[in-house]
Amino acid sequence: MRDAFSDALVRLAVSDPKVLLLTGDHGYALFDAFRKQCPDQYINAGIAEQNMVGMAAGLARVGFRPFVYGLSAFVPVRVLEQIKLDIAHDNLPVVLLGDGAGFVYSHLGTSHQSTEDIACTRAVPGLTVLSPADRHEMTACMEYAYSVKAPVYLRMGKSDREDVHGAAIPPLTSGRMIRVRQGRADLPALIATGSMVRTAMDIAQDGLDAAVWSVPTIKPLDTAQVVEVARSSRGVVVLEEHSTYGGLGSAVAEIVCEHQPTRVLRIGVSDRFSAHCGTYRYLLKEHGLDTSTVRDRIYAFHANA
Amino acid sequence: MTSYPQSVGDRSFNATRLRKTVLEMAFAGATVHIGCAFSIIDLLAVLYRHHLRYPGNDPLAAERDYLVLSKGHGVMAQYACMREMGWLDDAAIKGYFADGSDLKGLSDSRIPGLEVTSGSLGHGFSVGVGIAMGLRKRCTDQKVFAIVGDGELNEGPIWEGSLVATHHGLDNFMVIVDENGFQAMGSTAEVLSLGSIQAKFESFGFASLQVDGHDEVAINAAIHDLWNMEPGRPKALIARTVKGKGVPFMESDNRWHYTRLNERTFAEANAVLDAGRGFK
Repeated sequence: MRDAFSDALVRLAVSDPKVLLLTGDHGYALFDAFRKQCPDQYINAGIAEQNMVGMAAGLARVGFRPFVYGLSAFVPVRVLEQIKLDIAHDNLPVVLLGDGAGFVYSHLGTSHQSTEDIACTRAVPGLTVLSPADRHEMTACMEYAYSVKAPVYLRMGKSDREDVHGAAIPPLTSGRMIRVRQGRADLPALIATGSMVRTAMDIAQDGLDAAVWSVPTIKPLDTAQVVEVARSSRGVVVLEEHSTYGGLGSAVAEIVCEHQPTRVLRIGVSDRFSAHCGTYRYLLKEHGLDTSTVRDRIYAFHANA
Repeated sequence: MTSYPQSVGDRSFNATRLRKTVLEMAFAGATVHIGCAFSIIDLLAVLYRHHLRYPGNDPLAAERDYLVLSKGHGVMAQYACMREMGWLDDAAIKGYFADGSDLKGLSDSRIPGLEVTSGSLGHGFSVGVGIAMGLRKRCTDQKVFAIVGDGELNEGPIWEGSLVATHHGLDNFMVIVDENGFQAMGSTAEVLSLGSIQAKFESFGFASLQVDGHDEVAINAAIHDLWNMEPGRPKALIARTVKGKGVPFMESDNRWHYTRLNERTFAEANAVLDAGRGFK
């Protein structure tokens, strides 16, 4: 997925000299190809994220297409006000790239973990929120982020999980979820984003014959499509490596409670920080996001329907 | 596309008239921040009269210079200048703060002529540095002026952006510090001491000058001098100003950060300006 990201960024920058990459001194090795092929389009803005995002707004104001890279704990959360005032208020075409979302930095603790970024960015008017699940979605998200010519937050989570899609996917359509697995109508539909799409697929393929939908565009989210999924299934389970407050689970619940009331199980991070450190796999388990715990919760949800 | 007048008034940006426009707006809108506007109004008069280039008198011209009001609280001074440019009509001035009107109490970038949305402080400076960097990449001779308050220098992004401006040699960028010695709750010395502002910007790599921020001739000369000083370095003009300058009962009285005009003070302030007694 990181290769797909780097390849897409280089491709966009080569084809459009107005594309600039700004980094807050993060992305070691990730940008080697970019720096080699587009050295004049690379700006290391130093460890100064607030200024970096404000500068990106200034660059966009005079015609450039900035891609601003940071860890998702910093971009967008630390710089939310710069995103709101300097970028979103004027609908400037700046793409904010937040890497390591969720528990990727499992050993480093709260500083580098990011489970509130979707909630923060969803509430900023006009800001598109993307969250690819694998390398194919990453490629599509990068193309989409460039093409919309508007503010975008692209959330990059755990990057080395198995692909969800067997091959490249068509260009994204605004707000449309992608069905990655057909399933029975008398079971809950699984709607997931980022790393948790793979988890949903594993559970669906291993016994629970449920439909799985991937959500690369969390905002906007196609209301009609969500309603249709809710109508054609028995309850909805939403999975994300993010707080259950304000993320994809909230977005889906907001739609179905208004248009197609049904039971919704939101699987994500409860209202708590990580208590301990360890491997990524360990931390998912601590937060109840490991495959086994998630499976048990989905089966219990279905059994109690 | 809105077309803008090619010629309006005498464009003298007479400081008394500008101040009277601010009073008119502040009274119409029963608004605050008069002192913040009066401290930068002479600086703005010089910038609009002698320095800012707006081809076709178009506030959105791609080839324009950029005036970034990072201290958004002084926006009434900029509205007054925009009226002289023909970008705002009398109705906009008289209807300040009316329900459904466009001109807000802080700088809003959706108004042609205002480049940034500020008021939350420390934003415009960074945006201005980004604009200057972009103009440099485009190899134009366009300039960026960013006006910041001395209180605003408390904000971290100012200093983050200063490092970047120097590192990238952005000598098309000039920060103008409105050093009026006050911030919202008191004097800058009481709230958070700044020491020498000029020394700080010098140490960050800027070419700098100090000037009396109400002496238009000196301001004009200082800006010219700065652009010609030390190529490769961003510029800092430290303007020593008086909050509320021009109306003696407002001068250096920080209550005029938040006080609203009433019939009596409105009349008194106008009378002082009409009599030309505002300037000692």
